[in-house]
Amino acid sequence: MTESTRLKRRAKGQRPFFFDDPNVDRIVAMVMGLAGEVAVMRDRMDTMERLLEKTGGLKRKDIDSYKPTAKVAAERAAWREAFLGEVLRIVEAELEGLSDDSDPSYDEAIKMVQTEKD
Amino acid sequence: MQTTAEGQFEHKILPKTSHDEFARQEFVRSYKEFLVKHVHHGNRVVYDQKVQPEFIRQHQRAPKDRFEVRDLMSTEPHYRMFSALLRTSQEMMWSSAQKPVEREFSKMLRRGVAKSSGKTGGTLRLNPALEIPKYLTAVDIHCQPGGYHTETAEGDCSAGAVYDRAVHIYAMGQLGPYNDDMGASLAEWLNVRHPDLEPKRILDLGCSVGHSTVPYARAFPDAEIHAVDVAAPMLRYAHARAEALGAKIHFSQQNAERLDFDDGSFDLIVSHILLHETSEKAIHNIMRECHRLLRKGGLMVHAETPQYKGMTPFDAFMLDWDAQNNNEPFWSRSHEIDLNRLVEYAAFDSSQGFEEMIPSCYSMSEADRSQVFQGGDFGGGGLWFIFGATK
Repeated sequence: MTESTRLKRRAKGQRPFFFDDPNVDRIVAMVMGLAGEVAVMRDRMDTMERLLEKTGGLKRKDIDSYKPTAKVAAERAAWREAFLGEVLRIVEAELEGLSDDSDPSYDEAIKMVQTEKD
Repeated sequence: MQTTAEGQFEHKILPKTSHDEFARQEFVRSYKEFLVKHVHHGNRVVYDQKVQPEFIRQHQRAPKDRFEVRDLMSTEPHYRMFSALLRTSQEMMWSSAQKPVEREFSKMLRRGVAKSSGKTGGTLRLNPALEIPKYLTAVDIHCQPGGYHTETAEGDCSAGAVYDRAVHIYAMGQLGPYNDDMGASLAEWLNVRHPDLEPKRILDLGCSVGHSTVPYARAFPDAEIHAVDVAAPMLRYAHARAEALGAKIHFSQQNAERLDFDDGSFDLIVSHILLHETSEKAIHNIMRECHRLLRKGGLMVHAETPQYKGMTPFDAFMLDWDAQNNNEPFWSRSHEIDLNRLVEYAAFDSSQGFEEMIPSCYSMSEADRSQVFQGGDFGGGGLWFIFGATK
């Protein structure tokens, strides 16, 4: 049994774009993805600050002189990859659509559910 | 705003989240709350102050229906940005709920059915041969990737796990810590309005993960409770969750249009936001099936978002957002269907039919609710629309 799985990223159905240039919608999605990741970071820093306050000090020079080991560097690289996955989520999701040609047009879907016969 | 709503109750089956996964989900909730509080109302401002006055100047009348409003609003920059943001929040919501489930996938499989059976006496009956109706496969309803039904492994309950968490984020906690406000409010209404019903057998249609089913087990501890859905991943999760919450419920994989229960075998049949996800044909079949399954004097009640009837064209247009933009193809039609005729069609006596707005029983401060029905603000109204009939 695999330890984890990858669920579909894209919901079946044509995605509506609201601006004349769909790239504007894509940028909106990216900006909000980025905002989300900044908020995640802010929560993490907040957790750190609160824990540090409770458990005692950390010196700034300890941070400045910190050298990540290979393992830490690899962990950070993996984090950055996941981070970019969040920011560029919409690009990835739409790529899934290129190989998924089974979507009816959205108007066809509306018509189908309203008029479906045996 | 909704920040006073509690967090979700962490029952044993709820997927565990890491610090950052949780923070990501919290962000989506804040993002949605921000849209409700700061962005959504801008559409009304634009409409009232600019779009409608301009239309009246040109045509000497106000826009007559939601279609005219839609044509006018669809080019408004604020509406476009609102829509792009709301759609994106929906996609990020699913994504943020998926990640912990992907990571915990194998644990979920192990935890799922095997570990959960037999504690309360609740059961799970699956039917792998059941055909998933076209209205659930044409598009992935409300943009959950893979919909309710997709399975990636034998015994998969990941769609249910994703849904459980996503509903809490979607409603911004407005359904309470158990996501159960619709069922709980309806059960409370039944106690007040139908104290003599004393149901012995209750059926919940289209139960998904059983959010609305569990409150009936609490409200009617002596009743036998059945719940059906077409999607196996939802039911596996629903069963495990109900057992974790100590609620005895009999789940089975069936299409609510054609059920295998005996004629006249239920005192009470309920559904919660099911009907708008079906089709013209299915909604009629479901009504007929309710009539067949109820005993004489039995009651069916369906909870939905309110009908467009009586709304201003602008309000109907805003509530219709999901139909066009959130993969809800039957939403528009189901909000305009003649409920009297629907009930009559199923051989109920329409004089025994009713439509009502009932209060939410989840006690959030009124000041914390948006008090309106609008796309992307599920539960914000603090009221639920119900309709039904006595047989």
